[in-house]
Amino acid sequence: MRRPPLVVVFVALVVIALGETAGALMSQLRPQITGYARARVAANPQAHGLAGSAEYDAEVTARGVYAAEAGLSFFHTHAQGLGPLVIFAGTVAASTVRWRLARGAVAALLGLGALFPLGYLLYSVAALERGRDAGIEMAERYVLTPLGSAAIVGLVALAVLMVVGRGRDRDA
Amino acid sequence: MAAILLIACAEVGGASMARFKLELARGARAVMLSRPAVHGLVGVRDVDEQIIDEALVKFDAGLRLFHLHAEGMGLVIIATTMTAATLVRSEGARRAIILLLTVGGAGYPFGYLLWSALIPYYGIQTGKAVAEWVVWIPFGGATIVAAWWLVALVGARLVRRT
Repeated sequence: MRRPPLVVVFVALVVIALGETAGALMSQLRPQITGYARARVAANPQAHGLAGSAEYDAEVTARGVYAAEAGLSFFHTHAQGLGPLVIFAGTVAASTVRWRLARGAVAALLGLGALFPLGYLLYSVAALERGRDAGIEMAERYVLTPLGSAAIVGLVALAVLMVVGRGRDRDA
Repeated sequence: MAAILLIACAEVGGASMARFKLELARGARAVMLSRPAVHGLVGVRDVDEQIIDEALVKFDAGLRLFHLHAEGMGLVIIATTMTAATLVRSEGARRAIILLLTVGGAGYPFGYLLWSALIPYYGIQTGKAVAEWVVWIPFGGATIVAAWWLVALVGARLVRRT
């Protein structure tokens, strides 16, 4: 077995460590996080469409806070899942893909894909600062979709390269 | 082996949760009803049902979180210990990191089982505080320390190479 490029391993480890730390902080600081999220919604009334009606505003604020907490939770779970996945897939790529250029491309795509969970941090912050729907759309468009696509393309390319490599072995 | 056992426990936990969902909920409910003072039950059906429902939701959440975390941490242990075994040169640091990742990662998810088990007997908050101090903080702390230690060592190696 060969190891993936050091930078890919490093990025995956940082993401795993951040995911674990985020989980612990979310558990210990939940009241503070909720309080901060409420304050940010109140500080951006136009972005959230607050109308000055206590009942309506409370519902809008609760939805904004929920979106921010969900983003943190998604960050925690995706970081714990994607970090190991990138290390495993990177090891498979380093061990089975013969063509140097293709191996490098797969490693680069997986390295970029490992950053995907960070999009959920942006999701949390943007949902509070820009309004729930606009913030989530921004995180999806500029971070989650490109980085998620990189991970998907990297995994599909790895699968294709493995199949092609086996076919060549059989022919030889 | 610890990671594989943990993943196996997660699978068994998930299957048992699905198969014995009703029995588990009934058992937890019976224990709660036998300890009204712990849960603040007042004898008024409408009020008590709401309190019991909330505790049962948390009881179920604890079991689900055990299943999720055991599966996730199993994979994290394999990936991180494999990396430490390959990339950490100092034998002492390597052994310490692998030990912390294995013990911390394997122990942490059982905090959720403990929490679930304690909810019917001691209530949501007391159960959570016990699980936190007995399992989550020591075992989760060990994993976090080891993960950042590994990041620092791999980062230093990366800097030296460039």
